Amino acid sequence: MTMSALSRPGERDRPLIKFLEIDWVFCLLLCLIAGAGSLIMFYVAGASWTPWAAQHLVRYSIFFVAMIVLAMLPLRVWFEVAYPVYFVGLALLVAVELVGDVAKGAQRWLEIGPVRFQPSEIMKIGIVLALARFYHGVSAESARFSWWLLIPLAMIAAPTLLVAHQPDLGTAILVGATGVAIMVLAGLDWKLILGGVGATLAALPPFIFFVLQDYQRRRILTFLDPESDKMGDGYHILQSKIALGSGGFLGKGLGLGSQSQLDYLPEKHTDFIFAALSEQLGFLGGATILLLYVGVIFMALRIASASHSHFGRLGSAGVTATFALYVLINGAMVMGMAPVVGVPMPLLSYGGTVMMTVMIGFGLVLSTRVHRYSEVTSGRGSLL
Amino acid sequence: MSEPSIFFSEVNRRQGDFNRRAFLLGGITSLGLAALGGRLAYLQVIEAQRYQMLASSNQFNFIMVPPPRGRILDRNGVVLASNRPNFRLTVYRDEDTNVAQVIDNLSRLVPIDPAKIPRLVKQIENSPKKSPVPVMEDLSWEQFTRINVRAPELPGVSADMAEVRVYPYGGAFAHVIGYVAKVNDKDIKKIKDAGQQPDQLLYNPGFRIGRQGVEKAFDLELRGKAGGKKVEVDAKGRVVAEDPGGDLPPVSGDEIRLTLDVDVQRRALEVFGEESGAAVLMDCRTGDILCMASAPAFDANGFVRGLSGPEYRALAGYERKPLLDKALSGTYPAGSTFKPTTALALLAAGINPKERVVCTGGYHYGNRTFRCWKTGGHGAQDMHDAIKNSCDVYFYHLCNRAGIDLIAETAKKLGFQQVFDIGIPGQSRGLIPNKAWKREAYKNKPNPDARVWQLGETLSVAIGQGAITVNALQLCVATARIANSRKALNPRLIRSVGGKELPSGAAVPDLPIPKEHLDIVRNAMAAVANDTTGGAYRQSQLGLGDVLMAGKTGTAQSRDYKPGESRKNAGLAWSKKDHNLFIAFAPVDNPRYALAVIVQHGGVSGSLAAAPRAREIMRTALLKDPEIRARIEKPLPPPELDPNADVEGAEPELPTEGLAPLTPAPETATPAAPPPGAGR
Repeated sequence: MTMSALSRPGERDRPLIKFLEIDWVFCLLLCLIAGAGSLIMFYVAGASWTPWAAQHLVRYSIFFVAMIVLAMLPLRVWFEVAYPVYFVGLALLVAVELVGDVAKGAQRWLEIGPVRFQPSEIMKIGIVLALARFYHGVSAESARFSWWLLIPLAMIAAPTLLVAHQPDLGTAILVGATGVAIMVLAGLDWKLILGGVGATLAALPPFIFFVLQDYQRRRILTFLDPESDKMGDGYHILQSKIALGSGGFLGKGLGLGSQSQLDYLPEKHTDFIFAALSEQLGFLGGATILLLYVGVIFMALRIASASHSHFGRLGSAGVTATFALYVLINGAMVMGMAPVVGVPMPLLSYGGTVMMTVMIGFGLVLSTRVHRYSEVTSGRGSLL
Repeated sequence: MSEPSIFFSEVNRRQGDFNRRAFLLGGITSLGLAALGGRLAYLQVIEAQRYQMLASSNQFNFIMVPPPRGRILDRNGVVLASNRPNFRLTVYRDEDTNVAQVIDNLSRLVPIDPAKIPRLVKQIENSPKKSPVPVMEDLSWEQFTRINVRAPELPGVSADMAEVRVYPYGGAFAHVIGYVAKVNDKDIKKIKDAGQQPDQLLYNPGFRIGRQGVEKAFDLELRGKAGGKKVEVDAKGRVVAEDPGGDLPPVSGDEIRLTLDVDVQRRALEVFGEESGAAVLMDCRTGDILCMASAPAFDANGFVRGLSGPEYRALAGYERKPLLDKALSGTYPAGSTFKPTTALALLAAGINPKERVVCTGGYHYGNRTFRCWKTGGHGAQDMHDAIKNSCDVYFYHLCNRAGIDLIAETAKKLGFQQVFDIGIPGQSRGLIPNKAWKREAYKNKPNPDARVWQLGETLSVAIGQGAITVNALQLCVATARIANSRKALNPRLIRSVGGKELPSGAAVPDLPIPKEHLDIVRNAMAAVANDTTGGAYRQSQLGLGDVLMAGKTGTAQSRDYKPGESRKNAGLAWSKKDHNLFIAFAPVDNPRYALAVIVQHGGVSGSLAAAPRAREIMRTALLKDPEIRARIEKPLPPPELDPNADVEGAEPELPTEGLAPLTPAPETATPAAPPPGAGR
């Protein structure tokens, strides 16, 4: 394939060309992470494909195909559905507030016919798409400092508060922080950024003591002093650290993790899978996984900055920000550097909803890559 | 609003901004990921060893293996308390255990009383997680295996073998040895109040703590030290694998050997039958207690199992108080068994034993008549006669020449009102009144005269009535001290603990009473039992050839006689009848064993209720003594064949003669026989 061929009009819209334009190294990294997750699930289940490992692989395969299909979608289509997705997500969040199912003391699930899902997951994509679309039509000057900025602020605040009220602190942080990251990427004034950071830090203590639910507050306090509650909330953190630490440099070997095998490690296939992995494969294994994540994040950011369209740039970067936040929050939690919040390690942890969100997001990233020369001229449907 | 027109420069500016910012956010993310990597390295490389230790303390656990409780033996090594295997069914609950369901499944495999099921379910649900609750004891082997085969389907259920205390002689030693029972909150609290950490063993469901007697006093020695079985456990506490290499074997408790003799003890309870009372028999030379029986007894095994409410109430509510140790805790007026003591006091006061007092059946003192038990009177009595006939008037007449304080002092020399260190708790001190006691006891009375000792009171004390109370052990010790005539002997009940011999009761100073005085009293006691006119002649014949018994009867009133009231016991309620007592020692010529028998509310007389019982107990002890046996069997045919021929007719005077040479001669005469208590 030569540049001359690609410069022919319409050539880039041919499916085969598009397919070849997909960043397959990026895809390989994703597959490696998901494969590692399946491997660990196989061993923590006692060398058994059931109940997790096989399911994880099957799901991943399905979502991988979906991601490839989404990658072929023109950015134009993403652009068109951005607001609808956001508002449907918002409406569902309101619905869950009113009629949602209460599981584990929080209202997160919505049941429509046979389908049970969490609207907050839709919002993770929705907020990225909507903000990217909004900023697509905003000048650099307005994005830096203007009254217009109240609109994205409201777009972030509404879903964040609704999710926090469920209460699902982890997702609320993800949604909120992703939104703020997009605002920063779009060129928000530094004074506003510093002011916002300062205000957030100042508001944190009263927030923790007056707004949070008891169990959330306890988790944070336990994090600050994990030894205070060895059998309760501190138990998870302590057992996770024991699993990690006892793995040592080379690990105990696959299938030989006493902490995960004997159930000392809680949620060993979901939130704490990174600890199970590092117990069995040691520092070498854990660091390798972290490097894979670093690779994914940087390749995604490179794709973002190579895009000719502002929508593609901000969309891809937003997805990357969500993904990076997942990794950082989960990693910090597993290693005892952050309180226990229910945030899984993306692609490594078992669980369909998060994997779906992440893979749809990467569909957008790959679509940005495939359509990096398209500019999404904002002729129709713009809010502004 | 219309679409904003974005110019080329504008586009470039947005892209430039984005690239710078993306680079910055990428950098921050990298910092975060680098921090994660650093943390990972810190945990897995630098702190690895510490966490590896924590992981293995998670992974491995020690399951407590309770130690076997030390056995309790009699003086000859006969087992009085040991342990038997008990197949036990326990259930523990986990977070998600459906207890009712588990019990329901179990009841299909083994017969669980349906009436008990609701209580069991509640008990298990209220117990801490993973702490096993016993559901059934003493499963048969077949039931045991049936449960074990099904164990995988029954979460939390396990059938295991524990040891349970067993007392082969049931009630015979219940008061001395006591029993063991489940640990209760009070036990734990008591230990915590003493500022100590309770042994983990106490929380083991099969563990039993000593509750009475030897089991309680030597609980720590008998308990032993728990061992541990090293096992790999998962987070739910389930055992995944065993590691026999890491096991710590339990250390079994100390074995305790008593001085009691199982045959003598059992004979004592046998002769008591349904009567209530106590018998204590001890070796006059070593102080070893061979028999310390309290009747009626109870089956200690019941307490190990745990008594039901009605069972316990039946025991506790019974008028004859089987739960009370009448040998140590019960105190009774000594009655005429106190007369040898009074006689010693009279001798100490310088009264000539040949001095005669004429008994007319009563003695006027003050404005009151003190009556002799014999209505017609005994006629002229010297000290020997007075003891032999148990003449009250003789002692009424002379007692105030010795005075109450001298009588009390003599009594205390013999061991009355004293608590002996025999290793087990529960002894009552009893009371020997004197002037100081009266002042103290009545100090709150408004009338100062009430605090002064009245000479008339001495008369009651002289014949073992009034304020006097003694327990059977004291009575036996006093008899042994009189009989042995040398040592202020102390009783010993515990012979050895864990193979370590305890000091013998003979390692004590001499009795501070002149030997001649003791000889007079002993001769009189021999006459009680062997003079044909003695108070208990017919009841005291051992039928063991020239091995004779000396004794003294006692009948103590347990109520005040109103003037003119009949002193007959017939038709009275049990609790109002007289106590019957007998003290004895044998052989007369070389006293070996001393004995005190108290028949509570026996209702007849010392000679009729207590003496025959004493004779049987004494016979058993003598026949078990190889030295005595050799002496009986050598010169004569077995006494059982012809029990009446030798003693009664031929040698009525023998005791008085036989007593004179109290030399070590008999011991050298039979050198082959081992001394008591040695070599076993």
